Amino acid sequence: MARVLMKGNEAIALAAIKGGVDAFYGYPITPQNEIPEYLSKHLLANGKVFLQSESEVSAINMVYGAAGAGKRVMTSSSSPGIALKQEGISYIAAAELPCVIVSVMRGGPGLGGIQPSQADYYQATRGGGNGDYQLIVYAPESIQEAVDVMKDSFNIADYYRNPVMVLVDGLIGQMMESVDFDYPVKERKLPEKDWATNGIINHPGRRNVANSLYLDPALLEQHNFKLQAKYNQIKKNETRFELVNFDNPEYVIVAYGTMARICRSAIEMLKKDGIEVGMIRPITLFPYPEKAFDQIPKKAKGILTCELSMGQMLDDVLIANNGRHKVGFFGRTGGMVPDPEEIVDAIKSFNERVVK
Amino acid sequence: MCKANYCTFIIMKNITFLTGYYGSGKSELAMNLSIKEKVDYVVDLDIINPYFRTREQESLLSQFGIETISSDLDYKIHIDMPYISKRVFIPFNNQEKRAIYDLGGNDQGAKLLRQFDNYHDTEIDLFLVVNVFRPESGDPEKIIKLINQIEGMSGFKITGLINNSNLLRDTTIEDILFGEEIIKEVSKKKNLPIVYTAVWENIYADNLVFQGEILKLKLYFRKNWL
Repeated sequence: MARVLMKGNEAIALAAIKGGVDAFYGYPITPQNEIPEYLSKHLLANGKVFLQSESEVSAINMVYGAAGAGKRVMTSSSSPGIALKQEGISYIAAAELPCVIVSVMRGGPGLGGIQPSQADYYQATRGGGNGDYQLIVYAPESIQEAVDVMKDSFNIADYYRNPVMVLVDGLIGQMMESVDFDYPVKERKLPEKDWATNGIINHPGRRNVANSLYLDPALLEQHNFKLQAKYNQIKKNETRFELVNFDNPEYVIVAYGTMARICRSAIEMLKKDGIEVGMIRPITLFPYPEKAFDQIPKKAKGILTCELSMGQMLDDVLIANNGRHKVGFFGRTGGMVPDPEEIVDAIKSFNERVVK
Repeated sequence: MCKANYCTFIIMKNITFLTGYYGSGKSELAMNLSIKEKVDYVVDLDIINPYFRTREQESLLSQFGIETISSDLDYKIHIDMPYISKRVFIPFNNQEKRAIYDLGGNDQGAKLLRQFDNYHDTEIDLFLVVNVFRPESGDPEKIIKLINQIEGMSGFKITGLINNSNLLRDTTIEDILFGEEIIKEVSKKKNLPIVYTAVWENIYADNLVFQGEILKLKLYFRKNWL
């Protein structure tokens, strides 16, 4: 397939098909509707499952069921819809089942608005579901990266038996870019799904159960220890980030997704003004690329966290920085997207932006 | 810009509708054409997309003396309600005025033409915008299928084709020519003229020769960092 021009949401949907998705369950919400729209056409036509459920809650529980049966499953939604899915997500993580959840963020809180936002950072990395669980969270900044990450996500989910979230904002969902679907993804030797609840005929003599209920606290604690060991493996193996203009930066910006794109332009503008600014661009939000912060030169004057939210990733930046540098914050929210000039100004007036 | 043998000089009718596959570039073309042709109205009939709609450019268009007609609702830029203003009939009732209508994508978007069923006596243009790099409109068969769907759904006939084949900032002149070959086949089979070829200003050159009139495109919806 040669290069084509696609809208982010469509490209994510096609990438899911390329990634081998067997079933999609979801409920419509702007600005991600092109994902189910595309899949409704193309999954059914290829003998796969597409189902528009009666609510987000039922959709995520259908994902739970189909993932339990060993199929490659996904759902997609936007902020308030992802909020409704939290209970199911926690159950899926607890039952150690693989699935892919696409979250196309819009302005919040509550019903909010339909314009782009990154205000669901906490929702993705801390979760609204209960218990000590983690999702693997990818935050691509372009449609090409979204496509590559989507294809890989199904493998990652299967490999770790863990839900993966692909987190973009509405702008990446709605904008168009030329994209190539043939970039290879990392080959992984995937274990057989011998745990799947796909009928005793497939595993004679053994009854498979997908479950998140452990009434014995000692057993539940053991289960949690096992989950934590897995999350530590994920931290060790799957952390991804990009360093931009990192030769000898005077300041360092930390930004992901659409905000990182804006910051790239700001960095070029600042360079023309004689100010060298580097950027740490997390590609995974969990695991968070804490090690990238070790590469910030000692004499750097500070770190500016830039978000389309009011200081959520800032927490992870403060943890990763661990008191080494001054940390400042710049954020727009509610669907407002800044121009690069605002980032340039924020760097130039860094001292007024320092939070810690 | 037009060389004799290739040229179809287009005198646009006072009312021009732009239709096409979803994401083919109708809104960018509506912006560019309306500014170039100094029309009186741009009518945004897109009830499909939540972002990148002509109504977002209302203040820029007004600087060119062009009025935008879309929704009368408050916050019309930020809601995706399938609501349009009854003012969309103004150009049909003031036929000395010139207007460009920007439809939503596909036959679903073209369905909105049905409200003009009583105006079939009015001469209008209905141009199909084609970008062959959009996956669902990459060959003549798919494009002809789309034409049939749009004509069936809207009750109006397509009167011309616009070659808007592009890969956004990655576009080359060869890409436009590649698109032209495919659209020429459609043109032949459906007996429809190629009225415009759109060329992004960054790759535009004076000596280019394409089918129809060359429309030098500015990207109004695409911020520099995008």
